Amino acid sequence: MEFAIQLVFSGISVGSVYALIAMGMVLTFWTTRVINFGHGSLLMVGALLTVVLGAGRLGFYKAALIALGITAVLMVLAERAAVRPLVKLAGSMGWIVSTLGLGIFLQGFAAKFFGSQAVAFPSLLFTNDDTIPFLGIRLSAQYLSILGLSLLIMFAMELFLRRSAWGRAVRAVAHDPDLSSIVGIPGRRVVVLSFAASGLLAGAAGIMTAQISGTIDPAFGFNLMVLGFVATVIGGMGSSIGALTGGIFLGVLEKLVGGYVSTAAQHGIAFAVLMIVLAVRPQGLFGKEEITKI
Amino acid sequence: MKKAAALFADSRFLLAFAVVIGAAAGFASLSALQLGSFLVINILLAQSINLLTGLAGQISLCHAAFFGIGAYGSAIFMRDLGLPLPATLAIGTLASAFFGYLLSFPSGRVREFYLAMMTLGFGMIFYEVAKEWTGLTGGVMGFSDIPSPELRNLDVFGFPVTSVWYFRLLLATLLVVLYLLRNFLQSHYGRAFYAVHVGEVAAGSMGISKAATKRRAYALSAAVAGLAGAFYAHLVGYLGPESFGLHKSVEALVMGVLGGLGSLVGPVLGAALLTYLPDRLQMFAEYQFMIYGAILMVSFIVMPRGLAGLLPGRTRFSKRPARAGKEEPPAVAPHRFTPSEARGEALLEVRDVSMSFSGLLALDGVSLSLPRNHVMALVGPNGSGKSTLVNVVSGIYRPTSGRVLLQGADITGWRDYAVARKGVIRTFQDPRNVPNFTVRENILLGAHHLYRHGQVAAALNIPSALREERVYLRKVEEVMEVTGLVTVADEIMRDLPYGYQRIAEVARAVVSDPDVILLDEPAAGLSDVELVRLDRLIRHLRARDIGIVLIEHHMDFLSDLVDDVTVLDDGKVIYRGGMEGMRSDSAVVAAYLGVEEVPHA
Repeated sequence: MEFAIQLVFSGISVGSVYALIAMGMVLTFWTTRVINFGHGSLLMVGALLTVVLGAGRLGFYKAALIALGITAVLMVLAERAAVRPLVKLAGSMGWIVSTLGLGIFLQGFAAKFFGSQAVAFPSLLFTNDDTIPFLGIRLSAQYLSILGLSLLIMFAMELFLRRSAWGRAVRAVAHDPDLSSIVGIPGRRVVVLSFAASGLLAGAAGIMTAQISGTIDPAFGFNLMVLGFVATVIGGMGSSIGALTGGIFLGVLEKLVGGYVSTAAQHGIAFAVLMIVLAVRPQGLFGKEEITKI
Repeated sequence: MKKAAALFADSRFLLAFAVVIGAAAGFASLSALQLGSFLVINILLAQSINLLTGLAGQISLCHAAFFGIGAYGSAIFMRDLGLPLPATLAIGTLASAFFGYLLSFPSGRVREFYLAMMTLGFGMIFYEVAKEWTGLTGGVMGFSDIPSPELRNLDVFGFPVTSVWYFRLLLATLLVVLYLLRNFLQSHYGRAFYAVHVGEVAAGSMGISKAATKRRAYALSAAVAGLAGAFYAHLVGYLGPESFGLHKSVEALVMGVLGGLGSLVGPVLGAALLTYLPDRLQMFAEYQFMIYGAILMVSFIVMPRGLAGLLPGRTRFSKRPARAGKEEPPAVAPHRFTPSEARGEALLEVRDVSMSFSGLLALDGVSLSLPRNHVMALVGPNGSGKSTLVNVVSGIYRPTSGRVLLQGADITGWRDYAVARKGVIRTFQDPRNVPNFTVRENILLGAHHLYRHGQVAAALNIPSALREERVYLRKVEEVMEVTGLVTVADEIMRDLPYGYQRIAEVARAVVSDPDVILLDEPAAGLSDVELVRLDRLIRHLRARDIGIVLIEHHMDFLSDLVDDVTVLDDGKVIYRGGMEGMRSDSAVVAAYLGVEEVPHA
């Protein structure tokens, strides 16, 4: 029983990080109808920069903050270079390919200049062995802190979107871009803001995942991006609650399969879920069917 | 440049060229042979992704999986079961085609980024399986000791296959594949790929089943990738899961995008460049992935048609043009006309049809009946339900209640392509053509569902397939003469003014030999000259015993053309009768003047 509870608990924790990834991807979708296929590489950049910068005198906490800043800036640049010129083209092939290209570029860059081997990621808060007793069960302190942190970030994000003027502008643009530009919301700046926020979330999610996995390599991230997308597909593209639900569902499912079936199946199961859910409900479990005028 | 391009487009020259290369291979160094073999494999892979992503418009981030299935398939059956090379190549190809076919079921239902993510997921599943199923694939340790020309242990029925002969075999295979592929793409199957690519709804209206077309595209594309993979397995002699990860799929995509998606020559160019450069330039190999990423980022802006766009000439999407003057018997029965009027049935009958969209009633108990040799105008204010009615009849919407009958047969709720094949063809408010097809190719699309020859016949260009193509090309010619499109027949559709695009769409509908034709505002935006042509075309159609429904606001255009008018308002029929009566009918006047704006007549 303790085994099962520990699996579920670590699944919830990992799932909360998936939710962060999902949230980061959904943010840009809201403002531009673009899903960034390079999002995974931003996770990698965030984690890798933390390791590289933190190894010096700077210390890992400051390094993490700088890394977050850089991922945010990178996303703003990416929007300018790989998204804005391409959303005008008919169809989505253009921006899918260009954002994927961005991801591949970053991955290639990291492999070239920091090596393609896995790098150890330091334990920032707790070590693997730290546990906290809870109802007679020992929960990993690391997982607990990750869960707490990602919930905190999700909460802050939600607060920002609901309470601040800029956050409300993002939601307005998401709801109706034309109408919001008529009422004077500066759409351009909202888009840039959403990309910066998406970069922040990507960086944070990358650092936290690296904390759990213990190592990072340039390819780290692509799988995670798909997992984040699976979370949005399960939970719906509309809300952070949906992303959280989807992420946690996926995380728990993965851990249970990993614990009771095999760790090999653990990786495949999420992709299988993706294909099945999309095949059964192409718009996602909670998405609305698009009605286009013919 | 132009001459050289034309030369390479000539299949006889290409054959001679390949023979020379094949002969010269006998004197080439081992490394040159290796490079040449990799080049051919890459061309096959690039053609494969071009088929699915470039032509059928279904983005794929999982071509490494198809490639890998072919590679492992061939390797396993040869090393562990001892089958000969021809058999294992076939097995690799078919195994991959089978998985492509399976994948088409979930992925045929999604589009755009959902599809991209799904294919990404499929590629990752394959990678995980290749890595973890150690018993079959050797797992991360890899699958080694595959018979290969380099190890001198590959033979076919006792004859050793050297590197030279392996290269020659590859070259010959490539030529055959390119020949079949070209023929296939120039058939109605190939045109259907593009039709689904640019618009699934429009494709359905031409009788093209998007699901069947996608299944075909996935299976075919996977087959070609599988063949490439099978050859790859024996070329390198060792397979590891790392060779079939995301980066391989990306490489395939880069070759397609760089060369130019949607043409036949593009993938050849893309593959050539990306095979040659990493081999020759140390710098390229070192920065390979950054360069791939950069290419993907900018190519759609800088070079949307890829390297192929820099060359003169374009890939044709019909078999050779019609031979003028040579009469041939029609390959198909002329028209499936059944004298239904004799039995007193209407051609098309709409019975009490209602359509509601989440509570909003767009059609409310609409009934109408259309005999043959009859033009019915459907008018009404904006939002009165005219287009919804057309969408219900043509199978795009399933009505909430009521029935649609064609010659007495119930076609309610049929899929759009089935309705079109049955003989009900519609056009759209905004013309929906294939922008990069010529006018001729676009109109030929209308004949899609009349073709009878199969895929093999299309790929082999057997005489009956060519004859059928000629019959419909001649028919296209006739319709273009009536509509005054002959002068622009070989122009690219997207370069033409709006009026031509409209007329071409109507012409496409005519070519499909319909019983009923539904024209959704065909006169909108046409000049006076074009209006005369449209008028002539509609009269020409009526004379062929067809029933015509014409949605139009242009009252002058309608007045001496139509037999009767049905007026819709708020989803209900408020008037049915002659044009004159309509002008004085109080309900119609109220609908137009009292509630809505005056139509721009």
